[in-house]
Amino acid sequence: MESDPLRKMLHDMLLARAFEERAAQEYAQGNIAGFLHLYPGEEAVGVGVLHAAEPADYIVSTYREHVHALVRGVPARVVMAELFGRKTGCSGGLGGSMHLFDAGRRFMGGYAIVGETFPIATGIGYAIAMRELPEAVICFFGDGAVNQGTFHESLNMAALWKLPVLFVCENNHYQIGTEIHRHSAVAEVYKRAAAYRIPARRIDGMDVLAVHQASVDALQQIRAGNGPQFLECETYRFRGHSMADPGSYRPKVELQAFEEREDPLKIAIAETVVAYPDAEQIAASGANNIERLKAHLNEGNHLSAEQLAGIEQEITEQVEDAVCFAGDSPEPTLADAQAALDCNRQGEVLL
Amino acid sequence: MNDTVYYWQALNRALDAEMSVDESVIVMGEDVGLYGGSYRVTEGLYAKYGEWRLRDTPISEGSFTGLGVGAAMVGLRPVVEIMTINFALLALDAIINMAAKIPFMSGGQFPMPLVVRMPGGVAKQLAAQHSQRLEQTLMNVPGLRIAVPATPQDAYWQLCQAIRSDEPIILLEHELLYFSKGSLDVTLEAPPMHRAQVHRQGDDLTIVTYSRMLDLSLRAAEQLAEKGISAEVVDLRSLRPIDWDTCVASLEKTHRLLVVEEDSRFAGAGAEIAAGLTERCFYTLDAAPQRVAALEIPTPFNATLEAASIPRIADIIAAAENLCTN
Amino acid sequence: MQEPILMPTLSDTMESGKLIQWLKQPGEVVKKGDVLAEVETDKAVMDVEAFHDGYLLGPLAAAESDIPVGTVIGYISDTPQKNQQAETTAEAAAAAKEAVREAQRASPPSNRTTAKKKASIQTTHPVARPEPSVPTVTDPSGVKASPYARGLAHELGVDLNQPRAGADGVIRASQVLAAALAGPGPNLEAGPAYRYKLFTSMHKAVADNMIAAVATPTFRINARLPLAPLKALAHAQQLSLTLLLARACALCVQQHPNFNAVYTARALVVRKQVDVGIAVDVPGGLLTPVLRDAAQRPIAELNEDWRILRDKIKRNRLGPNDYQGATFYLSNLGMFEQVSHFDAIVPLGAAAILSLGAEQEVKAEFTLSCDHRVVFGADAARFLQTLALLLNEPKGLGITATSASS
Repeated sequence: MESDPLRKMLHDMLLARAFEERAAQEYAQGNIAGFLHLYPGEEAVGVGVLHAAEPADYIVSTYREHVHALVRGVPARVVMAELFGRKTGCSGGLGGSMHLFDAGRRFMGGYAIVGETFPIATGIGYAIAMRELPEAVICFFGDGAVNQGTFHESLNMAALWKLPVLFVCENNHYQIGTEIHRHSAVAEVYKRAAAYRIPARRIDGMDVLAVHQASVDALQQIRAGNGPQFLECETYRFRGHSMADPGSYRPKVELQAFEEREDPLKIAIAETVVAYPDAEQIAASGANNIERLKAHLNEGNHLSAEQLAGIEQEITEQVEDAVCFAGDSPEPTLADAQAALDCNRQGEVLL
Repeated sequence: MNDTVYYWQALNRALDAEMSVDESVIVMGEDVGLYGGSYRVTEGLYAKYGEWRLRDTPISEGSFTGLGVGAAMVGLRPVVEIMTINFALLALDAIINMAAKIPFMSGGQFPMPLVVRMPGGVAKQLAAQHSQRLEQTLMNVPGLRIAVPATPQDAYWQLCQAIRSDEPIILLEHELLYFSKGSLDVTLEAPPMHRAQVHRQGDDLTIVTYSRMLDLSLRAAEQLAEKGISAEVVDLRSLRPIDWDTCVASLEKTHRLLVVEEDSRFAGAGAEIAAGLTERCFYTLDAAPQRVAALEIPTPFNATLEAASIPRIADIIAAAENLCTN
Repeated sequence: MQEPILMPTLSDTMESGKLIQWLKQPGEVVKKGDVLAEVETDKAVMDVEAFHDGYLLGPLAAAESDIPVGTVIGYISDTPQKNQQAETTAEAAAAAKEAVREAQRASPPSNRTTAKKKASIQTTHPVARPEPSVPTVTDPSGVKASPYARGLAHELGVDLNQPRAGADGVIRASQVLAAALAGPGPNLEAGPAYRYKLFTSMHKAVADNMIAAVATPTFRINARLPLAPLKALAHAQQLSLTLLLARACALCVQQHPNFNAVYTARALVVRKQVDVGIAVDVPGGLLTPVLRDAAQRPIAELNEDWRILRDKIKRNRLGPNDYQGATFYLSNLGMFEQVSHFDAIVPLGAAAILSLGAEQEVKAEFTLSCDHRVVFGADAARFLQTLALLLNEPKGLGITATSASS
């Protein structure tokens, strides 16, 4: 692979991590309120998938979607302003952290009722298929969403009518506090797609290159008119479900193992054995996924240490700028809210 | 141009008219295609427009309604038919959490030209699960518009208007209205979609009603006239927004309000109608507003009990007489 | 004999006024035209004028209080009475306060209700009696009355202890009306069975305006003028004849600016633009939608305004801003072919109204009714001369193909 796309992916992963850590800080300081679901640990999934997408493709996401928006190209300051609830945010301050939207970038929104992304994505896919366009829809969801009725209903319809939807499961193994073996009879999420004859793969969601390659392949199949595809990306979130969640239901060793993990064998182990990693595996695990990519880039002489420091500096400034912009932005007014509600009135006379 | 048609035919013509001029109009639902619709509303359209525009769906109300939402966001104009409003309970997330909220919570970025059509109300012995009125559930949702056509002409007009609108609109139909007849002139200019209509002029009381109860109210008004009571009958045609001005104008003339609704009295649509008009007309009311509504029980299967559980003409007459006694 | 002094309506938007101070003392002689008190409206401090000769009589409304228009604030008596200054106290203040509260309660969500409330308050005086000021809602006597009955009783000056309650012990509108209309008046019982039909707000407003307009000294002047050239133009440009007539009126008024004036006691008020009110027949009454600045604005704009106004009338949504404040009026009954001519009443706020009947033998008869305090016979003749020129040669209306097509 060319170093340039790699660099861009590394850049986005670093931005994702820095943005989310800063969001947590701003939340703690009271500048962001409500529910705030952060992405650290899962960056390889969003970055790998979205770098495989075309600008004409549509993205449908969940309430843990800041990074999806950032990678899609929504400016950090506009995302941060939305988290702050300001008029300059990408949803005018009316959506907040869980409801980022950007129609121009075909970022079709963050949805906060688990399972809503399936029908929305399927509907967009329906419009594309009916018009015979070379576009696709990327539908993100977590492992917790696959037990909702809409998952099964929508996969059935997408497969039935060969709709161009890439279903991407960000399997972080927990639906809030319930571990996957306690919420799913079949813990290998990708196997469920077989019920609807949708081609599915399970991939290492900590390896951005693997995620990216799998997404490229899947989208190629979709654009060839072969109907939906399904990717299960095994990943892990380093924080709680939301800022309000200490994540104390997860054993410390497990968290550490994931945070330092490198061993690709783990995937195979998870496939066959239902167990937490043992001491030896923990010892064997190395840097987290960002560290891994850094190392990979360095090995290939793609990126010098100075260049990396330069990127990190630029990202620090970008995030700082985003926070300043958000803090200085005005709040929306009730008139703004009314205008948003009536945005589709188009001069219609109702009474 | 004036035809006498069934209500279902008026809806069928509206769909045909809109589908023929706008390729982005699609219809989806259970048995809407090959079968032609459970109440014949889509009869003949599958052959004319093909499977992509007349989509027979699996029995998945929650997802095919949500699918309509997604399609509407990218420019299709889906008309989703839910076979009866009772099944819409499975689609409320799509209607309330998605359709009504996406344009708003995106800060006004997305169109939502979605129409959800469904019949509600008590039909003939369909028992408790298939005989509900759920308008009050949807009335309390900002972002939705609700039309309740009571005649073939209104069914035609309001469905055409709903399809052309970029806002999400619920069209509440009624099982017993599908095979009622009325005149239809497709060349007439439609009034605004949510405008109420005074169907009968009167001086002594105003009956505010909607959907199937319009017919009962008009027939009650005829009998009341024989007893010397002159009832004005207002068909709301819409439950959100409500055309208060038309009702207020009527009450300024009659000073007495009778609301006739098919849903249950407690926190039903009539509660909002009565409250809204009391707020606006308190000083012109010469008596406390009254409601004729369904009993507070699930609809019984037994025909006698079923009939007794919803307003009958005699109930309307009795309430009107009581209201006008003093 | 005593006449009530009402809180006057001193602006189009005024709903209440703040009584700044009384300039006369109770018992003092007052002459018609004297300034009795100062009132602060939503726009300025204005004078309350005496409309009768006599003596100022209490109870006077308290200074510094906010009082709804139409509320009795004092009386003018034709006989001197003992000084009632003492009574300006608590009682009157309480009454005013109650009236304000009542007005606030009635504070209407729709324009229609506003119009009604205003209209009814303004017309209190023919039947207003000095005895009860404002009936309270929580009647100490424990009277049960419907909200509508209470409002009617207040408007008609009926003491709620007077009507006999209905069978359920509640006083309703019919009982209040019966009480109000009892005694002197037409002997209804001698005639056939009857029912009361209350005025609609529109009907009431028109009636009130007409009563007020009777005081205008009016003369009329007629001319038979051709309509064919104007009709040809209307047809060619696909504009309504009414719109072109309104334009012609506006241009005549512009050329004869006295017709854009209105009489007030101290000075003529000369307006800076010509707003033409057009009488329109609607079920249950009459409306006068106004074309603003009809002389200067491009015809295409006026055409659009006219379309919107007609649409609002059709939908019953014409608001006060649409029908108030014309400086000149036009009334056309030409669609009734039997009507050869008629004269219209000059509405308050204007100096003249032009009316026309049906076209007969290629001409229609125009009647210009004028307020003689503002314009004189020769003025009116010159006005019709200008009108004749425009009707013969409608090019003068400033309508080109381009201006109308946009």
